[in-house]
Amino acid sequence: MQQLIVAEFRRLLATRLWWIALLAATGLGGGLVGCLALVGPEHFSPPMPGLHTAAGARLVLGILGYTAFVPAAFGTLAVTSEYRHRTVDVTFLFAPSRWRVLTAKLAVFAVGGLCYGAVLAGTAAVGLYAGAAGHGSTVGVPVGAVAGLLGRLAVAMAVYTLLGVGVGALVGNQVAALCLVIGYLYLGEPVLMMIPGANAAYPLLPGGATAALTGFHEVSDAMAAQLPTTAIHLVSPVVGALVLLGYTLVAAAVAVFAPLRRDLA
Amino acid sequence: MTGVAVEVAGLTKRYGEVTAVRDLSFVVRPGAVTAFLGPNGAGKSTTLRMIVGLVAPSSGTARIGGRPYRSIPRPSSVVGAAFPGAAVHPRHTARAHLRVYAAMGGYPDRRVDELLDLLELTGAADRHVAGFSTGMRQRLGLATALLGDPPVLLLDEPGNGLDPAGIAWLRTFLRGLADAGRTVLVSSHALAEVQQSADDVVLVSDGRLVAAGGYDELAATAGLPVQRPAAEPAGLERLFLDLTAQRRGDDRCNS
Ligand SMILES: Nc1ncnc2c1ncn2[C@@H]1O[C@H](COP(=O)(O)OP(=O)(O)O)[C@@H](O)[C@H]1O
Ligand SMILES: [Mg+2]
Repeated sequence: MQQLIVAEFRRLLATRLWWIALLAATGLGGGLVGCLALVGPEHFSPPMPGLHTAAGARLVLGILGYTAFVPAAFGTLAVTSEYRHRTVDVTFLFAPSRWRVLTAKLAVFAVGGLCYGAVLAGTAAVGLYAGAAGHGSTVGVPVGAVAGLLGRLAVAMAVYTLLGVGVGALVGNQVAALCLVIGYLYLGEPVLMMIPGANAAYPLLPGGATAALTGFHEVSDAMAAQLPTTAIHLVSPVVGALVLLGYTLVAAAVAVFAPLRRDLA
Repeated sequence: MTGVAVEVAGLTKRYGEVTAVRDLSFVVRPGAVTAFLGPNGAGKSTTLRMIVGLVAPSSGTARIGGRPYRSIPRPSSVVGAAFPGAAVHPRHTARAHLRVYAAMGGYPDRRVDELLDLLELTGAADRHVAGFSTGMRQRLGLATALLGDPPVLLLDEPGNGLDPAGIAWLRTFLRGLADAGRTVLVSSHALAEVQQSADDVVLVSDGRLVAAGGYDELAATAGLPVQRPAAEPAGLERLFLDLTAQRRGDDRCNS
């Protein structure tokens, strides 16, 4: 297993993908949060509570939860490129025990996802305080709470990376898998949230669970307020964490077992 | 090097309606180059992929030194396999690609340098594979297969896209591997590239075995001059066409 993990690390670091991913994390963390903090939520449309309030500060950071499709897409991209370039043949020649290969990949991408999350969270913290200073505002949440929130977001990013790996291993085809991951996480869930009836399931979907984990009620509340339906009640942060853990386990199981019997013709 | 034989028994693969390989049996011996011949679509690639466990047979078995590939503890040290179109990420360098699989097989990085030298890729080792010629890709595929210094080599169309010089190089290379006692099975739909170096022949058509045996023996049966190559460059080609034509005739009678 150790050999497989070393091999997968070498594979991950052999292209510029990891570098591009960390650049994206910086752009979304420092860039996006910095801009939002600089503009100030009171100037959003519709206007939201300002950064000096707890709700406003949580809103600005919680938006990062909606960028989780990005690490998911990187996970999918990396796994499916093995199928696309047929290196999966060589990989399974060297390691015919396919579930072990996928287990090693999950371990490597868990580390990769955490690195992505750490860069996202670290640069977001810089962006938040720098943006607030530039805007001449304070941050309405204590530093410890900001750190806790960003820590949970970082872990959520690792979870989404593994979700992406799982879907990639299941689907195999790179374009199809990327469309599925980005389409569902970026478009599918927000649309689901607006469908009466279907939105009852939203709190238990990955996006809803992430929002619960980050205490991000504003978007779902705002949407519910504009529709003649009842408000969506997110689960508690702890339940949200458990739901995400459940998805991680499902993704891991899918990733490990999906390629077992597939013919590589 | 002690020889390791490859034994295929009753191997069959069905893809829905299509039967790619039917009840195929043959043995590949060590110390010889065995040409695995047949027209496109004859089932050669499917057979090779079943031998190494990439494709699951519908029935039948393939054994290497008496064991199925998937139950060999460190398979890359027993069998080296290469499939056409070198399976390499185009943004990897040749060295990075080999280092991934050296780690996976548990071989030292020194082995990567040795193989880059052996396959004459040292000068291109740190270039992205996207810019490689077909010949360079084929050699990188060979280098990957040889990482574990395996006694058995299974090469699917290794001559594809090679120029005459590349084919001559390949022939010498394969001969060297066989002379060192290795088991070398090389598939091809183009005969010229293997005929001068094949000791044995396994001929398939439409998924079935048409003929198997020593080249000289088969050539004698078919009434071809046993004297090999250059003098009679069309020899194996004629044997191939004759035998597959016969099989095609049989099929017509059966249906
Ligand atoms: N994955 C697959 N699905 C369906 N048919 C296949 C598949 N792979 C191969 N075949 C069919 O099996 C037959 C043998 O193919 P192949 O083993 O690639 O032949 P060869 O390598 O001798 O050219 C062909 O008719 C091919 O179309
Ligand atoms: Mg083929």
